[in-house]
Amino acid sequence: MSIVQLQNIRKVYDTKVAVEDLSFTIEPGTMFGLLGPNGSGKTSSIRMMIGITVPDSGSVSLFDKPFTRSVLGRVGYLPEERGLYKKMNVLDQLTFLGQLHGLSAAVASRRATLWCERLDIVEAIPKKTEDLSKGMQQKIQFIAALLHDPDLILMDEPFSGLDPVNAFLLMSTLVDLCSIGKAVIFSTHRMDQVEKFCNSIALIHRGHLILSGSMREIKSSYPRNRVLIHYEGDDAFLQNPCIENMSRYNGNVEIRLRPSATLADDAQSLLTQAIQHARVTRFEVMEPTLEEIFIEKVQETLPIKTGGKLSMAQLEQSSGGGHDA
Amino acid sequence: MHNVWLIARREYIERIRTRGFLVTTIMIPLILGGLIFSSVFVTSKSVSRAHIAIVSSDTQLALDLQSQLEPQPATSRANQTHYTIDPMGIGPDTRSIVDQELASGDLDGYLWITPAATPAQRPTFTFTPRSSEQDYLRGALASALGAVLLREQLAHRGIVASEADAMLQPIEIRAAQAIRRQDHASAEIGVFILFFLMYMVIMLYGMNVARSIIEEKTSRIFEVLLATIRPEEMMAGKILGVGSVGLTQVGIWLFAALLLSGKAIAPVVGFQGMHIELSGAQVVYFLVYFILGYAFYSSIAAGLGAMTNSEQELQQLNLFLVLPLIACMIVFPSVLANPDSALSRIFALIPPFTPLLMYLRVSLGHPTPWDIALSILLTSISIYAIVWVSSRIYRVGVLMYGKRPTLPELLRWLKYS
Repeated sequence: MSIVQLQNIRKVYDTKVAVEDLSFTIEPGTMFGLLGPNGSGKTSSIRMMIGITVPDSGSVSLFDKPFTRSVLGRVGYLPEERGLYKKMNVLDQLTFLGQLHGLSAAVASRRATLWCERLDIVEAIPKKTEDLSKGMQQKIQFIAALLHDPDLILMDEPFSGLDPVNAFLLMSTLVDLCSIGKAVIFSTHRMDQVEKFCNSIALIHRGHLILSGSMREIKSSYPRNRVLIHYEGDDAFLQNPCIENMSRYNGNVEIRLRPSATLADDAQSLLTQAIQHARVTRFEVMEPTLEEIFIEKVQETLPIKTGGKLSMAQLEQSSGGGHDA
Repeated sequence: MHNVWLIARREYIERIRTRGFLVTTIMIPLILGGLIFSSVFVTSKSVSRAHIAIVSSDTQLALDLQSQLEPQPATSRANQTHYTIDPMGIGPDTRSIVDQELASGDLDGYLWITPAATPAQRPTFTFTPRSSEQDYLRGALASALGAVLLREQLAHRGIVASEADAMLQPIEIRAAQAIRRQDHASAEIGVFILFFLMYMVIMLYGMNVARSIIEEKTSRIFEVLLATIRPEEMMAGKILGVGSVGLTQVGIWLFAALLLSGKAIAPVVGFQGMHIELSGAQVVYFLVYFILGYAFYSSIAAGLGAMTNSEQELQQLNLFLVLPLIACMIVFPSVLANPDSALSRIFALIPPFTPLLMYLRVSLGHPTPWDIALSILLTSISIYAIVWVSSRIYRVGVLMYGKRPTLPELLRWLKYS
């Protein structure tokens, strides 16, 4: 059983290709991260999953059936651009949105109150939405997406603009929902945010799927070829031939090892050599971050002439502006 | 349908609760009522006065004229010119005196009577008005002079003054009104009042629909809504919700007018014994065509709202909303004059005109049931088509950002689903 199944979907807006040949499957109980720089097609993909827009080609299946609007009652959606009726009272607003998702007024209002308690914003209940802080409004919107107890939860950039405490609160709420079998999809361009939580990811760039799969598999398929050393004293050990490139700041160096079959041993010999020359205060062999994997994949699939290391900022630029559709 | 109902109900409740609703409900009738009342009051109470000097060497003639023109207080009526006459003899500087008084505004004009050379001839009369505005006095003077000279002639032939007066009694034709005519006139006034009411409410609430759609776009709540409902449902809900607010307001006004019309307003507004009477059928037709007109114009407004991103942009486009209404005003007189002509029938079947012109025909003419059914059908179809197109534009438009779409872009949007 799969909650979401996308098959070769494609969407073109006028002349801009927003999504091209995108396929992936999401199982129940998955925390799925849809990752990519701004303008890479995350929002377009999410909109197509719930029929706000229809793909030009390819197929979308929700809950093992081709998409129909009748399943929308089982989907909760938090759009990237937050929107609430400003002049409306919070409880009325949540009740109204719950009713649109098929709840009765009484149930919607009771659940809204419970959720406000859970997210620690009871004091907001009698207020008008426009009188609330941005963060509180975001929590209200978050509640609105979950009020009808959806089996599929779509969150488009859910943590943007939240302080770390509240971001953690919302994240752990999502983790809880995931653990009781709901599928959660969220998109973000902050890859460091999701490394801890996602068990499955899809990386997209310029509408193309670059990488997808379970987080563990992806990480383990990449060699632990990065070494971080903090040292004092002579740096002659940095001449070691196993070093492919490095960036040095004062007293610490980030090394990328040359790919070879004996990578783990190379690191050990580098450590031995370093101890002989300098006082080492820290030595760590690290697995690549998601961001590094992403950049590497982008460089592989779409070779871009750049002087040195490609940064996320450059990627975002190369994705181009246009409408964020 | 449930979603349409939810959207409409939210829209209705939120709008009814606002202070703006209360203010317009009270202020618009007050302002309108005030305007009507004051204009009626002013026309009924205002009396035009004319101060005229009569320069004549024949003092008797001047005095006769004076008594002819200055009526007894008992016979004076409203809406009549009150004359003040100064008889003057001819002196060497009379001309300069009257000219001076004319210039200073004391006099509205003077009549200079030059005696005839021979008694058989009539004297020459020259009237000098202060400005062309006072030229109308010439007619009054001529008829007064005619009466005075006639009485003089009669006296010459030995007829007693009282008999002469009886002979010269002006003949008054009473304005009797045939029953049918009176119906027509009161219906005409009813149509006019309802026409302007409709016009105002359509303008007011049509724009509210557009605004409320723009508000949804700027607050960007539509994306949450679109994740569960169709844009058509949302459009329909908006139009219904805002429309019900309009109907509520008109209902309050009509109810208040009914309460007041029997006693306080009727004597003032009812022009000299003519009441505004509406038959039951007229009220039903009014409601039917009001709802059609409202739905038609507000669905156009909804489309305009879907195309624009801000109220300023909407202002530029609201010409499209006003234009059909203005066109309607232009053909209005020809339908009024001849409600059953072929031209009127055609005009009344054109959907933007139907609500107002067909209502006019129903009230004043004799449209066939076929005409009425066809007009309702055509308007309903066009409302459906407009809502359909608007919701397409809306669905694609809200998901796009930035500039207002060009016409080719709009046409392309219609193809997206």
